[in-house]
Amino acid sequence: MAGEKKGGAGAAVGGFFRAIGKYFSEFGTAFVKGDIFVKLSALWMGAGYARRKQYVKALIMTVLEIAIIAFTVTFAMQYVPKFGTLGTVKMEKVFNMQTMKSEFNDYDNSFQILLFSLFSFVVWAAAIVVWMKNIVNAYKLQLMEEAGEHINTFKEDLHSYIEEKFHITLLTLPVLGIVVFTAIPILLLIFVAFTNYDQQHMPPSELFTWVGFSNFLSLFGGGGLTVTFSYAFVRVLGWTLVWAFFATFTTYIGGILLSLLLNSTKTKWPKMWRTLFIITIAVPQFVSLLLVRNFFSNGGIVNTICANIGLTGFLRDIGLVSTSYIPFLSAPGWAHVMIILINIWIGVPYQMLIATGVLMNLPADQLESARVDGAKPFQIFRKITMPYMLFVTGPALVTDFVKNINNFNVIYLLTENVYTTTNQAMANSQAKEVDLLVTWLFRLTQDYYNYKMASAIGIIVFIICAVFTLIAFNRMIGNGKEEDYQ
Amino acid sequence: MKKMKSNRTSTIVMHNLLIAVLAFIWLIPIVWLFCTSFSSYSGMNTSTFFPKEWSVIHYIKLFQPDSVAQFPQWFMNTFIIACVTCVISTAFVLMVAYATSVMRFPMRKPLMNFAVILNLFPGMLAMIAVYFTLKTFNLTNSYAGLIMVYSGSAGLGYLIAKGFFDTVPRALCEAARIDGCSEARIFAQIVIPMSRPIIVYTVISSFLVPWMDFVYAKMILNAGVSSKYTVAIGLFKMLDKSLINSYFTIFCAGGVLVSIPISILFMIMQKFYVEGITGGAVKG
Amino acid sequence: MKLKKVLASVLAAATVLSSAACVNAEETISLTLWGAEEDQTLLAELVENFKAAYPDFTFDIQIGVESESTAKDTVLTDVEAAADVFAFADDQLNDLVSAGALSSLNEVGEALQVAGKSLDDVKAANDAGAVAATMIGDQMYAFPMTGGNTFFLYYDSSVISAEDAASWDTLLAAAEAAGKKVGMTLASGWYNASFFYGAGFTTGLNEDQTTAIDWNGTSADGYTGVDVVKSMLNIAGNSAFMAIADGDISNWIAAGGLCAAISGDWDASAAQEAFGDGYAATKLPTFTIGEDQVQQAPPYGYKFVGVNAYAENVGWAVVLADFLTNEEAQAARFEARGLAPTNLNVQASDEVQSNVAIAAAASESEFGVLQRVGGKYWDPAQTFGEMIAQGSLKADDDAGIQAALDSLVEGVTAPIG
Repeated sequence: MAGEKKGGAGAAVGGFFRAIGKYFSEFGTAFVKGDIFVKLSALWMGAGYARRKQYVKALIMTVLEIAIIAFTVTFAMQYVPKFGTLGTVKMEKVFNMQTMKSEFNDYDNSFQILLFSLFSFVVWAAAIVVWMKNIVNAYKLQLMEEAGEHINTFKEDLHSYIEEKFHITLLTLPVLGIVVFTAIPILLLIFVAFTNYDQQHMPPSELFTWVGFSNFLSLFGGGGLTVTFSYAFVRVLGWTLVWAFFATFTTYIGGILLSLLLNSTKTKWPKMWRTLFIITIAVPQFVSLLLVRNFFSNGGIVNTICANIGLTGFLRDIGLVSTSYIPFLSAPGWAHVMIILINIWIGVPYQMLIATGVLMNLPADQLESARVDGAKPFQIFRKITMPYMLFVTGPALVTDFVKNINNFNVIYLLTENVYTTTNQAMANSQAKEVDLLVTWLFRLTQDYYNYKMASAIGIIVFIICAVFTLIAFNRMIGNGKEEDYQ
Repeated sequence: MKKMKSNRTSTIVMHNLLIAVLAFIWLIPIVWLFCTSFSSYSGMNTSTFFPKEWSVIHYIKLFQPDSVAQFPQWFMNTFIIACVTCVISTAFVLMVAYATSVMRFPMRKPLMNFAVILNLFPGMLAMIAVYFTLKTFNLTNSYAGLIMVYSGSAGLGYLIAKGFFDTVPRALCEAARIDGCSEARIFAQIVIPMSRPIIVYTVISSFLVPWMDFVYAKMILNAGVSSKYTVAIGLFKMLDKSLINSYFTIFCAGGVLVSIPISILFMIMQKFYVEGITGGAVKG
Repeated sequence: MKLKKVLASVLAAATVLSSAACVNAEETISLTLWGAEEDQTLLAELVENFKAAYPDFTFDIQIGVESESTAKDTVLTDVEAAADVFAFADDQLNDLVSAGALSSLNEVGEALQVAGKSLDDVKAANDAGAVAATMIGDQMYAFPMTGGNTFFLYYDSSVISAEDAASWDTLLAAAEAAGKKVGMTLASGWYNASFFYGAGFTTGLNEDQTTAIDWNGTSADGYTGVDVVKSMLNIAGNSAFMAIADGDISNWIAAGGLCAAISGDWDASAAQEAFGDGYAATKLPTFTIGEDQVQQAPPYGYKFVGVNAYAENVGWAVVLADFLTNEEAQAARFEARGLAPTNLNVQASDEVQSNVAIAAAASESEFGVLQRVGGKYWDPAQTFGEMIAQGSLKADDDAGIQAALDSLVEGVTAPIG
């Protein structure tokens, strides 16, 4: 990931547009300079190939063209024309005693319209790219024929897919998977942020429609939905950043320290110890975290023990707790600290594994010379080990930070149904002090069906992550490392 | 690392003692899980660390399916899903990683930037859209749908594998190319055999996904047919308010049984795992 | 086109002429059904009986697991994929109806002709409170299945006498003397509303699905919201009182240390086990406002069986839903699970009359309240309860309490969205 940002984000974006520009100019030249068959390819996609005797390819292109037209007529046209309104016909039904079934009118489902329109747009976009590429190819073939070069047979064409075009073979399926299961859903939710899809507008019984930027306005206090929404948003955002910072760095440093500890020559049976720590990763999180949550619950075993040894009483005497139990996971402050501690518990062994691997490659000569110079272990750690770790795992640290901003499992499993806020302004916006933006939006969708606000929050989360990533990458790794290793 | 300067017995003892204390802290919840699963009481024990009465009754119950707990069935379901997911995911990850690492083509950088951007979105949000996409193809309440969700976007997680491939000496590929090897053969017969650590790493991490996920599984297998659940939702549902008192110990027992094979897997694969992650992480 | 029309009318005529329920008997009628985990065995039996009752038809009935308390969440995620017939708790009725997930029985109730009855028969067979709870406006949306979905006082009669159990003051004093505790959930809008309802406050639903709430004012009985909160704070501040998180009550009962707890019939067996021979249950105690003893009035709820608005065989779904809640089914459910019936005949049976937990719940039906609130009610109400439980409000700070009540009301009455 690191090396890709060589010239900074601006260059990446610029490069992207330059590539698109080049693509269009290629297409323009091809279309203008091409012969009649190249131009005919714009209507009949097989024309160019057929002219150059590439009959199989011509057939494939023709079939593809027919398929796209069929898709447009039978599928896309049902939904895309309604995209502007997201549907106007509300569901109505009448019970028919004769058939014992309800008869429905031909109603619109806003969500379906949105999803399928989007799907159609993606297919069309792909079709246009193929169509343009097709004309460029037809022109290329024309040039080759004019120059009297050899024109590939179909077999040779096929063979190129395990040769110079092997990347297409490799990437087609994975990219398709990503488009269908990640890109389209994300795109859809971006659109939802501009609609009024909420509990009162839930398909199939109700319709929803476009509302412009009003969801973002209410997120920042303007729309007058709930006065407290922006209040809660700022608090939740604050904790999200604090959490992501601590969760990332505590486990990172903890992992390095633990790995140094375990790999020291003074350690007896290092393998056994390492295995013991790894067991904590092997227990699925929903088991270990739900368990830990019960472990620390108000009436849980830790509280019983603390009460028995008098710790609870002591804490109450010095005013740290006001209840008859220690509210490990049920009071602000306590819960924040506990969540970070528990995250250390599950995160450190994992980081330890990574650090172990990286430190194995630590340049031994540097260590040796430092030791000869009489450096203390801590100095070695500070001057040699840490800089090396940071150099090597810096980019991973940034991705970890982003992952922690979106770390749903830890927060949800530890606090759902356990933590009750006593801050009324937060409660009025269905938020809690311990919520991350993701858990908040998850609850907004699951319990309140407030998809529009959840989507708006989702976009904000994205922007935060994007800004952070760009800054961090530009700061940490201005130089491209990728090629150095090859 | 060579030995540090002071090597007296007391420091060694202290050193190992420190590790022991840490390991002890780390294992407390796991030990609690283990002990509780052997309790004869089916609800949550809040008064003592160790159960008052020991019993294996809940393990036996786990294997005598009732309408709530059908553990053997869940285990099989999850195992099948995990196997298929892991084959597809591993294939996708390796394919994308190889294409972006070894090959050079015009769309390479734009595609990689696109992947970076997609990774920044909170995935939870897209859940409802994924659900309706699956529903369109009539794939909800089917393992095929679940497998697609787990492995469909696997290609996005290619970075670590790419980092690993970046370390494969380019000269080797060049030599093969000169010998007239096709790209496909270089991939299948030269690079892949050299990449055991990263393959193992990818296989394990994708194999684990279905055992850990309860959010997507709960949403997609929503017909309420308990014999079709995965282990994760099955166990998760035992913690429902109305069930927790009679099923908490069974939940613990189930948790132990799931963890055992995963732990063993981890132990065997530990070495590869470390090499795999770091091979990739080193290069970012 | 013309031919099609003719054909259609001929077909329609033919169907009308054939038998009463005019369904092609050859066709398999597939239905899906969701019920609680604990209900699965019972449902399987009832479904077999159902098939036996209509031998002329072939059914394919799939039974799935979905807890009554979470049915709404799963149903509303995708109504079309949800079961044709499902059980749910009454507090979800409003959300289900406003999302258009439930069939109005007024529209599809005709189907009951197949079972030889009408919707009015169903209404007449069940107690009036339950029937009222299934209605929104004049439309009935579900069949009542069980009643007594409420909470009451379990106590250990070897520690606390029946007189002591009558009021919070005596109850807490007796518990204090015995060195034990009384447990109740405060951080839940279901439990803590009972103090306000007792003092004559109300909640309700507006036309636009927002919640109406008057707790920051003065009730019909002349008490102010501040009075009620002060009483709650006095109870919560008592050293014999223990505020327990929602859902944790059973653990606490089972763990011992409580001599009384406020919970519902789902904890009957836990309480029976913990209190042994002393096991007793009674209505909620009264609490003190100034000089007066005020009866705590819990939300009195039901569990229903509803029919999905998008069920393919909606008519048969209605017949099945009725079958699962008719007199025989309710009797069987009581026998299998000890749940309070809503059917008048079953209620009158000797076995039901002698059940301790049901009797305690039933004794509350006269002052229990049908809790109708919108989705925005729960979080603010929970937080308010937690503030009382944690003592973040002070009994001598009238202004602070009033401010907290105002902000509670503000959150609860917020528009949806």
